Amino acid sequence: MQDTPSTPPAVDPATLDPITVEVIGNALASIVEEMGETLVRASYSTNIKERRDSSTCLFDAKGRTLCQASHIPIHLGSLIGVVDEIARRCDMADIREGDIFIGNDAHTGGGTHLPDIVLAEPIFYRGELVAWATNTAHHADFVDRAHAHIFQEGLRIPPVRLYREGKLVQDVLDLILLNLQVPRERLNDLRAQVAANRQGVERFKGLCDRYGKDKLLAAGDALLDYAERLTRAGIRTIPSGVYTFEDSYESNELDGTLTFKVQVEVKDDEIFLAFDAPAQVRAGINLVETGLLATVYYAVKALIGPEIPPNAGLFRPIHVKAPKGSILNAAPPAAVNSRLHTGQRVVDLIFGALAPAMPDRIIAACNGACVNSTFSGVDPRTGQFYVYLETIGGGFGARASKDGLDGVHVHLTNTSNLPVESLEAEYPLVLERYELVNGSGGAGQFRGGMGLFRQVRVEGHECRTYIHGSRFERGPWGLFGAKEGGCARFDFDEGVEFPAKARAVLQSGQRVYITTPGAGGYGDPKARDRDAVRRDLAEGRITAESAREDYGLED
Amino acid sequence: MSGWRVGVDSGGTFTDICLVAEDGSAIAVWKVPSTPDDPSTAIAGGVVEGLASAAGATPGDVVSFGHGTTVATNALIQGRGVATGLITTDGYRDLLEIGRQRRPHLYDLQCDKPAVLVTRDLRKEVGERVRHDGRIETPLDEAAVREAARQLKAAGVEAVAVMFLYAYLDPRHELRVREILAEEFPEAFVTCSHEVAPEFREFERLSTAVVNSYLGPVMARYIDRLGPRLDAAGLKGPRRITQSNGGVMSFEMARNQAVRTVLSGPATGVVGAMNVAGLAGHDNIITFDMGGTSTDVALIADGEPRLAAEMEVHGYPLKTPMLDIQTVGAGGGSIAHIDAGGHLKVGPRSAGSVPGPACYGLGNTEATVTDANVVLGTLNGAHLLGGRMAIDAGKAMAAIQALAARLGLSVMDTAQGIVSVVTANMARAIRLISVQRGHDPRDYVLVAFGGAGPLHAARLARELDIPRVLVPRNPGILCALGLLMTDLKTNYAQTQQVRLDSDSLGIISDVFAGLSTRAEAWFAEEGIAPGDRALRRTIDMRYIGQNYELPIALPDGLAGTALLEELTRRFEAAHRQMYGYVAAEEPIQAVTFRIEAVGAVRQAEMRPAPAATSGLDAARMATREVWLAEACARVSCPVYDRDRLGPGHRIEGPAIVEQMDATTVVLPGQVATVDPYLNIVIEG
Repeated sequence: MQDTPSTPPAVDPATLDPITVEVIGNALASIVEEMGETLVRASYSTNIKERRDSSTCLFDAKGRTLCQASHIPIHLGSLIGVVDEIARRCDMADIREGDIFIGNDAHTGGGTHLPDIVLAEPIFYRGELVAWATNTAHHADFVDRAHAHIFQEGLRIPPVRLYREGKLVQDVLDLILLNLQVPRERLNDLRAQVAANRQGVERFKGLCDRYGKDKLLAAGDALLDYAERLTRAGIRTIPSGVYTFEDSYESNELDGTLTFKVQVEVKDDEIFLAFDAPAQVRAGINLVETGLLATVYYAVKALIGPEIPPNAGLFRPIHVKAPKGSILNAAPPAAVNSRLHTGQRVVDLIFGALAPAMPDRIIAACNGACVNSTFSGVDPRTGQFYVYLETIGGGFGARASKDGLDGVHVHLTNTSNLPVESLEAEYPLVLERYELVNGSGGAGQFRGGMGLFRQVRVEGHECRTYIHGSRFERGPWGLFGAKEGGCARFDFDEGVEFPAKARAVLQSGQRVYITTPGAGGYGDPKARDRDAVRRDLAEGRITAESAREDYGLED
Repeated sequence: MSGWRVGVDSGGTFTDICLVAEDGSAIAVWKVPSTPDDPSTAIAGGVVEGLASAAGATPGDVVSFGHGTTVATNALIQGRGVATGLITTDGYRDLLEIGRQRRPHLYDLQCDKPAVLVTRDLRKEVGERVRHDGRIETPLDEAAVREAARQLKAAGVEAVAVMFLYAYLDPRHELRVREILAEEFPEAFVTCSHEVAPEFREFERLSTAVVNSYLGPVMARYIDRLGPRLDAAGLKGPRRITQSNGGVMSFEMARNQAVRTVLSGPATGVVGAMNVAGLAGHDNIITFDMGGTSTDVALIADGEPRLAAEMEVHGYPLKTPMLDIQTVGAGGGSIAHIDAGGHLKVGPRSAGSVPGPACYGLGNTEATVTDANVVLGTLNGAHLLGGRMAIDAGKAMAAIQALAARLGLSVMDTAQGIVSVVTANMARAIRLISVQRGHDPRDYVLVAFGGAGPLHAARLARELDIPRVLVPRNPGILCALGLLMTDLKTNYAQTQQVRLDSDSLGIISDVFAGLSTRAEAWFAEEGIAPGDRALRRTIDMRYIGQNYELPIALPDGLAGTALLEELTRRFEAAHRQMYGYVAAEEPIQAVTFRIEAVGAVRQAEMRPAPAATSGLDAARMATREVWLAEACARVSCPVYDRDRLGPGHRIEGPAIVEQMDATTVVLPGQVATVDPYLNIVIEG
């Protein structure tokens, strides 16, 4: 899908020496880093500026990923489809220097859920379209919605021009802003996104000047080949064979329990993943194809080569299949807002399957969600409508030689928390407690990471919350004799009203108590170093009962 | 005879001593082996020895002593700080571990966070809550503080950090804890968060306070050993230690603010480079300090080094004033290898100085950057350090050949490739501090120093289109020299978020008045004469709603609307330079007010040298075959003796200039001239 055969480049990539390619690869990586830094620093909304919920990426003229900055892996899913979709919708001959496309729709390219808004700008060099600068940012908007299908989730924007030849298309902007709930923030965040792409365009053109366009583009091709070689070499380190795994999935947006399955076949230097999942549901947990691909690419890269450049060459030896119309390969008009929990579980599923094949490199199940808490209302201090979004980390799975990390974001996301001294100044909310959850790290020779707890009080207004996650009933699994990690739970003060699943209305003074899942342990807890058990006990990370029962501590 | 100013840079292997006569009539350099168990032995001994041997002076002639030390840095890296406790707001004891909830590497499943410096059982929560508007919602539970103090004392901690939410707005609760600790646990070393980092963002403030407590007693013990040793040696004059902001502070202040010294080593080099370049008339420079394992780069615009907005040191965020220095794992000892995809990579693994590059013959057989230079002929193939160290070019060749065979390239292409890759790595670090901060490197002079800087500067400059390179006369001792050119410096800050409009004028002047009072007290404490005092005022500003601020200098002599207009103009110019746009309709906010107090220290004077009287040929010591990528061939290059070059000499590339501690390369098409201060200036 990503890597269509093409006309041969003017300079044959095979004739470039690996040193030139390495040097140019370095320069491309610094372009996407620079774009990312500009986006974060110039943006307005806390979700982008403090929590860094954004990504930047360069594509070649054929829409193949050249280089993604190390921000949020799931965002690649928002970006890998966008250039293809633009090509499908537009006459490429009609695309001009200074055009900027905006899009967010998960089903027609350019998104995995509606709040991730993508901006894509073609890079022209001496009149020829040579590459694309793109970025996506999670706009904390489209709140207080239903999620039975995507039309309820917000405004769907296919990739359309926001700028035409450098000139803002005011009509399009006005239409979009009217459909957003905090338009001033959105406008300024969009400005930051435009500035980031501008920088990418200028810097890429500078590289064309320096190396010559043909050589630069050939180096781009060679970089894809390079990533492919690294990926194939990495896959070869996994014993060939067929591995399967299944896991249950529940969500507070859904009744009942679902089962996800995977079959992973490793054949020399290629890997085939076949997923099975129930038909898509009338809830926000569905994952579209680009989201599934981004998820699988993350998982494979993490297992076999964290340093492999995340470009389209990495994708070549990885083959993914999931039934169309299922939760893992959703079709229109599936709702997709909370697709990240599903994605996190897909990573765990792959790791679970490969655990027997590569026990020293695999890790136990991570928190298996990306617990999301959205608060909205009218700030009594300003009279303005506000939206405050926080995704909350949890346990990171135990490793073969060490404990999992406590209280971090895992796998597909890595956003920062909002400093409390910023949160309380900007929103009419009080963060009363923020701590690790005792006893939530799965017992094992190596302990799973601990979940997080946040206690939030509403001040002086009526606040609507939308808080969702997964792993409420069955904690994240452990490996090789270890126990599972702690479960998620959301509690509310008495008197709080619940208008729908995952939603609550809090009055002034009422609180919500959010507990995120821990992570699974690794190996038999009885084999854990005794000093480590005593230290965990002294530090209150495990209970006396667990020390005795799970770990068999006698004194 | 005039007095002597002494600069001592105490490193892991050598202690460098730089002596400058106060009237600028002489400079002397002395080097002694370090004494890692007690660095003060080598320092005191070396100074006495150096004064006698190199300067013909005695300790009684010393008028000032400046010292750069890695004691705090090393204790942080090696985890050798003291047992530390924490007292913090109820509900927040885990903040130190949670941090910003990000994992340190996106894809590496085996990654770890830096070690937590206070174990969980030593983090005590007490009831208290200040709100974001400064209002006290819950008064301090003093009984709980007393109990926490007793528990920490019983647990055997040596230092305590205190961090409450919003302490930068109202420090009373933190100060009260300090009083209670003085009663219950008087021997503890105490850091309050508002004292080291009075700014918003609780985790970064907490981290700074904890690191300061963790290192404080280590620094205090060090000073308590060094001070008496210097006394015993009969050393006179004020004594100062360098800090990460590029200034120096008194021993007394360093004792309480150890965290301010953790990046002082590289900062001193930057100050040295800045002064050497400034003397030669260059105010806009990029410093390039390349050593054996790493390279530090920094940008100085208009003679002012930039302070970093935020900095992590070994994974610990620190909110103390530090120069904006980027470090990259690229040095002469960096090892080249081929990865699974067939690409040549260089570093960050380094052969260090022992066993060092293959050509040292001490057992390493992997090719390093230094080996590549030996094979290319840019480095002397027989010996380094002015003949003091013999090298084995055959071993360098063998190491490069092994790589070349696997890459399918010629030996020379491989050696040149290693240099190209390491140059690209360093160029990336320079882009970060220049392009990414809105500066065009083409407007700057590259100042190259450190053991390997002059060797790679010409190529690095070409990679970045930097038109001019300056190689100081003594590139190996710039840090020790920098110590003699550093002013006393400290920074005060206060966060107070206020919209920039006519109502804010009173607040702006009140906050700066408060900061000035503190600065004046510091001037008095340090005994700085009124004529030597200077204050630099800046305001960190942003559009309301943004979260990253830009530092804007407060204009002098303006008030009222004129002041507001000038601040707005400066902010918009800075915003446009940084981000490429201005949001004219958006209100602007002042966030953090800062004063840098500078006490001018009488600087080492440098005198221009007389023009060279002999011709260039007199300085030519040899001819060497050097492989040049530009020619794709070995080219016969003249080799000059740096010690015999004088002002007015002009060298056309390709050429090599050798001196005891560095080798300078001039590429084809470039021209090197020697300026009146004996710097080499390469252009083209």
